Amino acid sequence: MTEKSDVLISVRHIVKEFPDSGTVALNDCSLDISKGEVVAIIGPSGSGKSTLLRSLNMLETPTSGKIIFEGTDLADKSVDINRHRQKMGMVFQHFNLFPHKTVLENITLAPVNLKLKTKAEAEKTAVALLERVGLADKKDEYPAMLSGGQKQRIAIVRALAMEPDVMLFDEPTSALDPEMVGEVLDVMKNLAKAGMTMVVVTHEMGFAKEVADRVVFMADGKILEENTPSELYEHPQDPRLKDFLSKVLI
Amino acid sequence: MYLILAQSAKTTWWQSLFSGMSPASFFNFSFLPKYLSFFWQGLVYTLLLSVLSVLVAVIPALLLALGRLSKSKAIKGITGGYIAVFRSTPLLVQLYIIYFGLFGLIKIPSHTILGFIDISRFIPGICALALNSSAYVAEIFRAGILAVDAGQTEAARSLGLSGWQAMKLVVLPQAIKNVLPALANEVVTMVKESSICMTLGMMELMWGAKTVAGTTYITIAPYVLVAIIYFAINFPASKAIEAVERRMRRGDRKV
Repeated sequence: MTEKSDVLISVRHIVKEFPDSGTVALNDCSLDISKGEVVAIIGPSGSGKSTLLRSLNMLETPTSGKIIFEGTDLADKSVDINRHRQKMGMVFQHFNLFPHKTVLENITLAPVNLKLKTKAEAEKTAVALLERVGLADKKDEYPAMLSGGQKQRIAIVRALAMEPDVMLFDEPTSALDPEMVGEVLDVMKNLAKAGMTMVVVTHEMGFAKEVADRVVFMADGKILEENTPSELYEHPQDPRLKDFLSKVLI
Repeated sequence: MYLILAQSAKTTWWQSLFSGMSPASFFNFSFLPKYLSFFWQGLVYTLLLSVLSVLVAVIPALLLALGRLSKSKAIKGITGGYIAVFRSTPLLVQLYIIYFGLFGLIKIPSHTILGFIDISRFIPGICALALNSSAYVAEIFRAGILAVDAGQTEAARSLGLSGWQAMKLVVLPQAIKNVLPALANEVVTMVKESSICMTLGMMELMWGAKTVAGTTYITIAPYVLVAIIYFAINFPASKAIEAVERRMRRGDRKV
């Protein structure tokens, strides 16, 4: 869909070991993500896809390797990671909304406290974004009053309110009741259409096929295959991928 | 004299075990009209001691808890050491060391507030109880902070907030709400524990009982009376805290 233009995130030979358990979650992974590109990461559970995604914004600190985001190596300890994280929105499997804050406060908390916007400006942005996901009427509710699908849409808005250059999604629909998956995927599709760079760890093969520009298959901490969705799904090369695809519904 | 001898001659060996005692002597509150003020003032003194010492303990306890959760080994060690010392030595010993040691160096002028609280004793008392309490409250806070889902911190950090901002804006408000019942329980504990301040002449409930017992030679009933007073405060308080805890658990939903 999009031309492979300038690279936004460049993952270089990332290794992640968990010394306590002795496991190697990521074993020399390299990946380039271009501006405007939608990359879906698929693979069996325990394959390291979430760890790879969480390494992109340093929620997991890689044991070695580089994550170059907008020209800066985030794995370098001297980098002010907080400043770069502002440009990388993240959406979690379990939403992680702040239960003690209203929907509006959830969205404005970071922009206001980081002094990027005044309270009034942040609220205006928040309401506009809430309207885009059809939840403007929920702005004064507390998260406990919302359904899973509503929570996740608000979590997406909360990340968008920071005006990020990339959005990272960590299995955003896995904790949802089936009837709510659609509303979240619709928001994500619109976001992709609007040109947002997205990295999505997902089990939603349909979504990956329809929306992603590129699908990355991981197993055992390695990137085994990456290709356009049609190529990857119709002509899988790696035997692990063939096996994986034969077991999941598409 | 003759009468007493005559009586003792009649008593059997087992009766002598209970000499001078009868069920009625437990409830011989004949001293009350004259000495009511000892118990009334003692109650006020006890409540002030326990509530204030826990309130004073809150801020140091929070710092200790954050220290225990710090990445720095030195800070972890120092705060851990403080907590270990105060939790592993008797409160009475701590009280004496702080009163005679620390407040032997810092002299507080004798000044009376409310007509019966001498601050030269009251302030050292508060300090000792608060220093002790902060070690326990620190552990309460630490557990409260750890009980907040790690995803909350991750979400805050992923938005670009610093570790401290995430703690202050997201984790602590949730942790403090969760530990309020435990904090109230700490006050209940302090209401009881503060009775040891009697040994330094602080005129709290237990001191009142001892003084009345010494003055009137009615030895049991004053202590029974303060036991009733302590119970009348603490039992309803703990029940109320339990009820609040139950309600909070019901209100908790995964977000």
